[in-house]
Amino acid sequence: MKIKRRDFLKLSAAGGAAVALTKGKSLNAFAMSKRGAIKGESPGEWKASTCQGCTTWCPVEVFVQDGRAVKVRGNRYSKQNDGNCCPRGHLALQQVYDPDRIKVPMKRTNPKKGRGVDPKFVPISWDEALNTIADQMMELRNNDESEKYALMRGRYTYLRDVLYEIMTKVYGSPNNISHSSMCAEAEKFGVYYTEGQWAYRDYDLDKTKYVLIWGCDPVASNRMIPATIKRLGDAADRGSLAVVDPRYTTSAAKANEWLPVDPGSDGAVACAIAHVMLTEGLWYKPFVGDFKDGKNRFQAGHNVNETDFAEKESYGIVKWWNLVVKDMTPAKAAKLAGVDADQIKRIARGMAKAAPNVCVWMGPGCAMQARGAYNGMAVHALAGLTGGVDNEGGSMQTAKIPVNKAPKAYKEYLDDVAKKKTKYKKIDQRGYLNSPALKKGKSGGGVTTNNAATGILNKDPMEIKMIVGYMNNFVFANNGTEKWEKALESVPFIVHLTSHASEFSMYSDIILPCRINLFERIGFVKTKANGYATCSLNLNTVEPVFRALNEETEFPWLIGEKLKERGFPNLIECLRDVYPDPETGKKATNSMEFTEYALKYYTKKMWDGKEDVGGDKINGWAEMKKRGMWNSDHYEYRKHWGGHFKTETKKFEFYSETLKKALSGHAEKHNTSVDKVLEACNYTARGELAFVPHYEEPMRHGSRREYPFVFIDYKSRLNREGRSANNPWYYEFKHVDPGDVGEQDTLRLNPGDARKLGIRDGDRVRITSTGGSGYSVARLWEGVKPGTVSKSFGQGHWAYGRTAAAEFGKKERGINNNTIIPWELERLSGSNPRNGGHTLVKIEKA
Amino acid sequence: MTQYAMVIDLHKCMGCGACALACKSENNTAMRRNGQTHNWADYQHDMSGTFPKLRYTARPVLCNHCSNAPCVEACPVEPKAMFKTKEGITMHNDERCIGCQACQDACPYSRMECKIGETSVISYNEEGEPYETFYADKTAAIAGGTMSGAELAAKTDNPPHRTKYNHPDYQDVRRDGITEKCIFCEHRVKKGELPYCVVSCPAKARIFGDINDPKSEVSALLKKHKPSVLKPHEGTKPNVYYIREYSVKK
Repeated sequence: MKIKRRDFLKLSAAGGAAVALTKGKSLNAFAMSKRGAIKGESPGEWKASTCQGCTTWCPVEVFVQDGRAVKVRGNRYSKQNDGNCCPRGHLALQQVYDPDRIKVPMKRTNPKKGRGVDPKFVPISWDEALNTIADQMMELRNNDESEKYALMRGRYTYLRDVLYEIMTKVYGSPNNISHSSMCAEAEKFGVYYTEGQWAYRDYDLDKTKYVLIWGCDPVASNRMIPATIKRLGDAADRGSLAVVDPRYTTSAAKANEWLPVDPGSDGAVACAIAHVMLTEGLWYKPFVGDFKDGKNRFQAGHNVNETDFAEKESYGIVKWWNLVVKDMTPAKAAKLAGVDADQIKRIARGMAKAAPNVCVWMGPGCAMQARGAYNGMAVHALAGLTGGVDNEGGSMQTAKIPVNKAPKAYKEYLDDVAKKKTKYKKIDQRGYLNSPALKKGKSGGGVTTNNAATGILNKDPMEIKMIVGYMNNFVFANNGTEKWEKALESVPFIVHLTSHASEFSMYSDIILPCRINLFERIGFVKTKANGYATCSLNLNTVEPVFRALNEETEFPWLIGEKLKERGFPNLIECLRDVYPDPETGKKATNSMEFTEYALKYYTKKMWDGKEDVGGDKINGWAEMKKRGMWNSDHYEYRKHWGGHFKTETKKFEFYSETLKKALSGHAEKHNTSVDKVLEACNYTARGELAFVPHYEEPMRHGSRREYPFVFIDYKSRLNREGRSANNPWYYEFKHVDPGDVGEQDTLRLNPGDARKLGIRDGDRVRITSTGGSGYSVARLWEGVKPGTVSKSFGQGHWAYGRTAAAEFGKKERGINNNTIIPWELERLSGSNPRNGGHTLVKIEKA
Repeated sequence: MTQYAMVIDLHKCMGCGACALACKSENNTAMRRNGQTHNWADYQHDMSGTFPKLRYTARPVLCNHCSNAPCVEACPVEPKAMFKTKEGITMHNDERCIGCQACQDACPYSRMECKIGETSVISYNEEGEPYETFYADKTAAIAGGTMSGAELAAKTDNPPHRTKYNHPDYQDVRRDGITEKCIFCEHRVKKGELPYCVVSCPAKARIFGDINDPKSEVSALLKKHKPSVLKPHEGTKPNVYYIREYSVKK
């Protein structure tokens, strides 16, 4: 046995030898005198870029020493994050320097595809990879099957136009399928069909007096994380904080009120808060208006004459009252949602007292449910009732970001085939009777990402023979993973543009290495927070260790060259012609030049000084790249008051004429009624209820008898969306998610529930739903509502890397929530009901 | 006499993890191995009450830079490898350290071995092992198609994101067979900058300064709020103070 030095010393110390050496001596002064000069940090440079670890899209800076990225911080010029990033920025260093990153193009040599089947990838040259892809594309074109090509987009920059839009269209396919509805379309639905804005909101935390956080933890995820981390404590000092969420989150810990609603029953609570405000005469009258004679006629259970009320900035308050609110008493909602009626009253009164400086912070938790669209409307209606909508200390829309749109001239490069086929229906079946996807009022206006699997499997509206996926992992990130596994197995040729060999890669035929967005990738994003809109550049602060693509621009360029060699020059000529250098007019000669010209084209109004676009004054392209970002002027409050909301009535709609028009239009398209549309979309509302915020009984898959718990999915504050799962620091610091434990895939149970099942803290447990089953580790935590269990999304990979998977390519580490959550849709918006409320599970000790 | 101290405002702190991760990127601390966390900054979590009446605290922890430091007392080396600077930082000299771990054993805020969920402000770099074994591994997920840790480190550094700095007592990447801990980023402080966890805190919940300077922000905060320290009964006189409460009692 080897005795190590310290063991030897310990033995010596125990024997007193070492102690004797130092006894009675004061050595500190001596130690001090020997200290040499402190040189400090070695030279390096802070370089600007953008973190896309969540949807905040923070402008950041990377400290670069010797060409290596060593530290990350917020961009010093940012008026959103004030120079600070959240933990995700720091964590990203392990993403860019991940040993499991793909270093060369690869091809599959095992034709058999399936979960756990080894693709037998072998390295190939860039030329072989690009030739193979171009050959496949030409074969489809030559067979008049170009519509059978699909582009699947994951996280993107706004240079997406080139790969997602232009390349797909010029080639001749309708199938550019984005990931958008995996995120928050149902939430946007709620806002659009009340306020007329299809977007996330911004929140004025510096001036708010009451923050109602609903179905998210904005210091951990959602849209403005560093800005909220900085301000939530001060906001709580200044006013009140209430959290409606079945999970005890960090925000809930900080809040005066925590209202643990049953998953999916949010609409009842929101309508009851409205009920209290209306019956007690507490609504914000300068926004909503008042009874003509000033006498409050809102009495529980009683109808009100519309003519007695004069509305100001809103529309339909009395209709909503008569249809829904009059009967949704706090007692009724308390019963439906499993909460305390007094708490509903306290929250309503508290908000009213602070009105109009109220932030109604709606998160995806309430809306991204199988019947969540009306929940989203109900929660956002409270922003109207308190006058906090588009107002100081409340929720805000966005200042304009003066970026250019895709050059229209690209359309001239569509040949007859492309012109015809781009008009075909899309593979996600958007606009079908049961997939209205009513983005911005239009039937089939938005994507229904999860339904693309249905389209592929049913070959409806067409067969898919080739997929190019980029920065996506649809087979892991969509609920109902088994359906996606089968869908991808059926596609003969798949290309994955990716940094890591993820589950999607395991079904692919060619893999091309791509860049990591915070450090290497080139592009730009548009974002808003803290009252400021921002354009932030993604820049190559360091060069990739091995060649890796800026896939949004370089891939179309390189394929365009290869297609030209094969007799189809339209794509490369289009790209070369429509994106000349905006300063010199010079046309690009290679993929990196093209990338730079495209970036300059989109952002030029902010740096070329030709027109006054407001906000930061930036002198030229070099300065823009150095700063990396542009801030707008502060948002102008109440910009949409006075009849400027983009709804049908131009008012904030409690009765949505906008939704009425959209649903009626969709019904007419299918020669049917709105009631039939709602039936096809799994909603219970009929008649006029379809046009107002209301409570719908939550959909649950399975019987309570067999599956007694509602499963809740949440997002870890260390999730760089899905991309940090191979980083050891992710597992090391998982305990920063309240209730979670490091190094394990944690299933949180209420201790009372666990006791009944004989489950103890740390036990391995099996989770089973109607959709799937898997193993994780039980954590008994009082912050879990009895009758629910919760687990953070992110773990359960069987590929992606050797840290993420228990055995790469074969065995998962923990269990993917999307295997437990059965395949489902929120059909009105096209969303993934990703928060899991439709999922019932049983838990067994393994 | 200067006495550097840190005040952590638990009301402002959102327990987000940025300080601990920023510290790892600044000081290139290794990943958990052999029961050593190598997290110079970490968190302790506490939950009390029963649903739905709960109280939760996420408490950032780091070396307390005690005025009465048991680690210094325990260091058997002459001159001491663990010592106090004249500004009150508990400093560690890598060169003199013999790796006996007496400091780690003596520190009431450290453990010789940590299980998951436990914290230790002093860690030990195992003798004879590469600093970061993760980047010494020579295998690949897909032969010829993905990198190995060693290949990546050869083209970058170990760790690849190593922040290089220079200090006479401690190295940016420390050798094997010695203990290591937070040194209040003296390599930054001496250059007029704040410790990296302080500048990286998005909540501005960590405040650093001279507690003996009545005009400093730390002094003002300690005067304004009733501070607490960890394990006051140990008599270590910590210089990391906590003010206000993390959560609202419901």
